[in-house]
Amino acid sequence: MKNFIWLCAVIVALAAGATSARGQSTLEKIDKSGVLVIGTRTGSPPFAYVNKNNEWVGFSIDLVEQAIIPVLNKKLNKTIKVEKKESAPATRIPLLTSNAVDLIAETMTDTQARRDSVDFSITFFATGAQFLVRKGSPIKGIQTIANRRIAAQQGSTNAKIVRERVPNAKLVEFPDQPAAFQALAQKQVDAYTNDGIQLAGLRAKAPKPDEWAVVGEFFSYEPYGMAMRRNDSDFRQVVNVGLMDAISSGLYLTIYDKWFGIKGEVPYLLAPETKRFLEMQVVPK
Amino acid sequence: MNYQFNWSVLWSGQTGGWLLQGLLTTLQISLLGWLLAVALGIVSGALRTVPFPPLRWLATFYVEFFRNVPLLVWMFFWYFGVPPLLPEAVRNWLFDHGVEFWAGLCALGVYHGARFSEVIRSGIQSIPKTQFEAAISTGLTVAQSYRLIIIPIALRLIVPPATNESLNLLKNSSVALTIGVAELTFQTRQIETYTAKAFEALAAGTIVYLILCLSIAALMARVEKRFAIPGMIAQGTGD
Repeated sequence: MKNFIWLCAVIVALAAGATSARGQSTLEKIDKSGVLVIGTRTGSPPFAYVNKNNEWVGFSIDLVEQAIIPVLNKKLNKTIKVEKKESAPATRIPLLTSNAVDLIAETMTDTQARRDSVDFSITFFATGAQFLVRKGSPIKGIQTIANRRIAAQQGSTNAKIVRERVPNAKLVEFPDQPAAFQALAQKQVDAYTNDGIQLAGLRAKAPKPDEWAVVGEFFSYEPYGMAMRRNDSDFRQVVNVGLMDAISSGLYLTIYDKWFGIKGEVPYLLAPETKRFLEMQVVPK
Repeated sequence: MNYQFNWSVLWSGQTGGWLLQGLLTTLQISLLGWLLAVALGIVSGALRTVPFPPLRWLATFYVEFFRNVPLLVWMFFWYFGVPPLLPEAVRNWLFDHGVEFWAGLCALGVYHGARFSEVIRSGIQSIPKTQFEAAISTGLTVAQSYRLIIIPIALRLIVPPATNESLNLLKNSSVALTIGVAELTFQTRQIETYTAKAFEALAAGTIVYLILCLSIAALMARVEKRFAIPGMIAQGTGD
């Protein structure tokens, strides 16, 4: 038993040492390796997903590659490559803090609790939670889900709100979007709640989009930001300048149009107030 | 490192309750799954050694089919694949009574049953053949000699590998979170969601699993010592 306690102590010490020994800033790390490692999703169209041609693409990935990389290249005076790793709600903060990735660029909602653990860029997309249901379902929004079986993505802010506001809804949480949608398609659950834009994306990618409907008013506010390690203002500045330049130059709108325009993957027009909100985040040069 | 530890998230607010709930669910699904696995394991392990080929083939098919497909796939099979095959009334009842739990239980029990089966078979085959022949010659039928002589001895021989399998089963119950069973690992992720304190939550989960597994190992060491057959296996070497 005594040996065992010693063993535990050694493991804990090693773990602490491994995570605290890295003093270098993110920019130094990227400069040295020549690679920006981003954590992103594989099943969240159109933000980040694997498309029909087996390419890992999306709106969030384009923002990194087209808006942030040029600023990073200029700052470090060399060409930086992007490497993508898969992240999920439960793993994204550990991925960042363990230095496995440098930037989370997917569909992560900026929250006050999360700001205790990571830093966020400016908001690059704003949405709210809704429900995906079979067309003709009696579920019309959060007021009509009492005693219904509701799927949610584990680790999402929506699950938290449903649990608090409608305690008698039967919430079933899945680790990823495909499993939750599968449960809905198989009638294991009556509705699937997630951010409205993601549900629209899921619907657009479904084999028969007309069978599904996205319903309900937004019952939450979900501003998406890119997350990075805390207290690294130089790197955060690069990310923010990249996003701000893209918004003010119109590059953001071009990318937005590619994914959310009428001919885009998931038609979802930019509301005038959202556009105004994005523009107002841009501070003068 | 640029991360502020805040261990108090583990006992402030609802998190303590969640961990406890998760622990209970883990214990429930593991215990019921273990009973199912041991029952299936004993039956199929015994059938793999009987002198009647069709039964042996049946048991071999079960073992090879279930242990050679990943547990995760079985979880999806029992959750997504089986309910649509059931009659409407049964399905509705299941949906109202935690279908996730029952599907996870079946996946865990049937998968580990196939693995237990091999443990039991190796126990039976380590018993000298003469023992079986002696049992038959006293006038017992094949079924009786298995029930009264072979299985009781085999069960006492296999305590160490069975402990190993039991610990695996307990830890594998965490795979059930993929179909939404709110067990211990699920709850640690839940804590991460609410507090964004992933390291603290994972550390708490790790410690609980470790304590659980060490307790089971200690218990099984006692069982081993208590039921050791003098002369057939070294007296319990538990500690």
